[in-house]
Amino acid sequence: MKKKVLSVLLVGAMTASLFAGCGSNAGETTGAAGGDAATTEEGGADADVAQNPVTLKTVSMFGGTDPNAEVYQAINNEIMAEYDYITIEDNSQSSDEEWKAAVNADFSVGNEPDVIQFFTDATADTIVATDKLVSIEEIRAEYPEYAADTLDSALAAAANTDGVERAVPTTGYWEGLYCNKDLFDQYGLELPTDWESMEKAITTFKENDIIPIACSLNNVPHYWIEFLMLYAAGADEYTSIPETAPEGWVAGLEMFKTLRDMGAFPADTDTVDDAYIGQLFRDKKAAMQLDGSWYAGNIEDTENTVVIAFPGVPNQKAEAGSLVGGISSGFYITRKAWEDPDKRDAAVKFVMAHTSQAGVQRYWEATGAVSQAAVEVTPVDGATPFAESIAAYTSGASAIVAPTDSRIGDAYKTLVAEIVKVSTGAMSAEDAINEALSLMQ
Amino acid sequence: MLYKKKWPLFLFLVPGLLFLLIFLYIPFVENIKNSFYDMASVVKMPGQDFKFIGFDNYKRLFTDPDIRMAMVNTLKMMVLTVIFEVGIAFVLAVMVSQIKKFQQLFRTVYFFPVVISATAIGLLFKLFYNYNGGMLNQILEYFGKEPVLWLEPELAFIMICIPTLWSYIGFYFVILLTGLSDIPDDIYEAASIDGCSKFKQVFYITLPSLKPVFFTSVTLAVTGALKVFDLPWVLAPNGAPQGLTHFLGTYMYQTAYGLNNYDYASTQALLIVVLGVVVSKGVGALTADKEEKAEAKAKRAREKAKGVA
Repeated sequence: MKKKVLSVLLVGAMTASLFAGCGSNAGETTGAAGGDAATTEEGGADADVAQNPVTLKTVSMFGGTDPNAEVYQAINNEIMAEYDYITIEDNSQSSDEEWKAAVNADFSVGNEPDVIQFFTDATADTIVATDKLVSIEEIRAEYPEYAADTLDSALAAAANTDGVERAVPTTGYWEGLYCNKDLFDQYGLELPTDWESMEKAITTFKENDIIPIACSLNNVPHYWIEFLMLYAAGADEYTSIPETAPEGWVAGLEMFKTLRDMGAFPADTDTVDDAYIGQLFRDKKAAMQLDGSWYAGNIEDTENTVVIAFPGVPNQKAEAGSLVGGISSGFYITRKAWEDPDKRDAAVKFVMAHTSQAGVQRYWEATGAVSQAAVEVTPVDGATPFAESIAAYTSGASAIVAPTDSRIGDAYKTLVAEIVKVSTGAMSAEDAINEALSLMQ
Repeated sequence: MLYKKKWPLFLFLVPGLLFLLIFLYIPFVENIKNSFYDMASVVKMPGQDFKFIGFDNYKRLFTDPDIRMAMVNTLKMMVLTVIFEVGIAFVLAVMVSQIKKFQQLFRTVYFFPVVISATAIGLLFKLFYNYNGGMLNQILEYFGKEPVLWLEPELAFIMICIPTLWSYIGFYFVILLTGLSDIPDDIYEAASIDGCSKFKQVFYITLPSLKPVFFTSVTLAVTGALKVFDLPWVLAPNGAPQGLTHFLGTYMYQTAYGLNNYDYASTQALLIVVLGVVVSKGVGALTADKEEKAEAKAKRAREKAKGVA
């Protein structure tokens, strides 16, 4: 009999262990810090209820090696120190495709966080469609000071694709051409300002065994896709969402073959990754690299590295000085937190701490004080030639346009995947674009 | 009869069955279902509906040049695993079985790559193959030679196969060596007395006696080739260069997580499963047939001997 009982118990335990990880903790509001029992009864916004222990589940892209991660964690700690009833359970990590899929999955099964720092462009369309994100207008009806420091233009730039402002941004980004100016000086070259000077620079560097352009076509050809299409198509056509390949886009992508045939890219551009490419540039083995503002923090030689406007392409339609950039992420409050009387206030405090003038200033400085800030920032003293070149580049931009992936979403990934074939001539630029666009229909 | 009552056994089997049902069979059925829909995201969001597209993804399998390349590479890898993994493992096992001194050392040394993660081996070979400052090119430059692009289109498949095959030789080496130790020594002694050379002993004693172990190794190698993923992905992601080194596993991963085309990736996953079942059944049928023939031959020989007696 004892054996039977033991058997049944063992089987029960094994079966129960199967489901142990499947329990839902949705709606959990008990505070871990105080160790008190749940005290989150429904109530108004009076002071007593506001003191109830609150555990705020937060998610952001400021994780891993992101230069913002340190500031993000520091602000979180300051919030918990100031409001001892708030416990922040943070689950931040660098953004990649798997992380985006995990965020979507959490929203679909009702396991979304209380506050999330996420994209604002087409990437966010799937979670925006769930109607689980609260608009700034709705929040301001109760908290008029919400996002008060944030510039109106920044809030507008961070609006979702349906035009509704939900996210409060911290900093924006720009993409530009990083140049090792010392290499240009060494070979008696001017920094490129048009296609002719670019062509001359590529030829000269190639002849002297310097890689003209550090770029991994197999890994991150994104920046080149953007600038080649923007300059060949002009801002209007570039920002359109076409059904079939526009002439300008095709002309832009055809430049990949031209550049490859000129020997502009590294010999192993088809196999290396972006980290290796960045190292080539920083080791002065390559003269130019097209990259974003997030790359600026990696530059050690701030005396001899500069950022300049994209030089252009033959028969270009975009105005010289056009820049790819904008604001594409921000802090959202989810409806789950908003509808919880205790979490609502804590979530607002959390977002305001990160997006206030003081908070954004810290983020801006952590990323080298070179990105586009969403608030009025105080300039940093003793700017390097590198930082000065960025300031000149961004302030002198003739037009700022958002990149293609913010408009065509996942179809862009297919376009990226075909770039190597386009560059070798194994696939036409028109076919690559049409293949990508067909996925949107 | 070890147990009089069978029901407690079923009780113990149920949790395992449930586990497989929840984490394997239900997702597998879901995967088949997904292959017939246009999935806009990896999970269905509230209020979202996926469009039914019928056999579109299956039709695409026949026109997609990249899946063709992945399939050809996978089939090539199957052949190479049998020849190089099982073949070299056999040669090494035979040689090691002949020595008494240092046998344990060789066992450990040859098996060692199996315990290293494929990711680490991939990174290691990536550093060997690097065009700028890679180990192989450093050696070439030391001897005054021009650096070689080891992962250029003509070489890439071979260069990826080398570490992939090398890293698993030790696995089959240990299996075959264990098989070799099961062959009674007196057969070899009798053969030696009859004047059979060591080389002939391999062909007339070792190989026939090792057949069942061989067949198991071949089945494992061939089905294992279908699962090749991590090492090529680390060494040359996205089928680099130019999609020429895609295997079914790497292409499916890129389709799902690189291109977010989950429905087409589901179709590819189904293809891999079907191919795995067909290949393992094929190898099984082939080897079972040979085993039966060998057994029948032995039976006939015994009957003949009885008749003579």
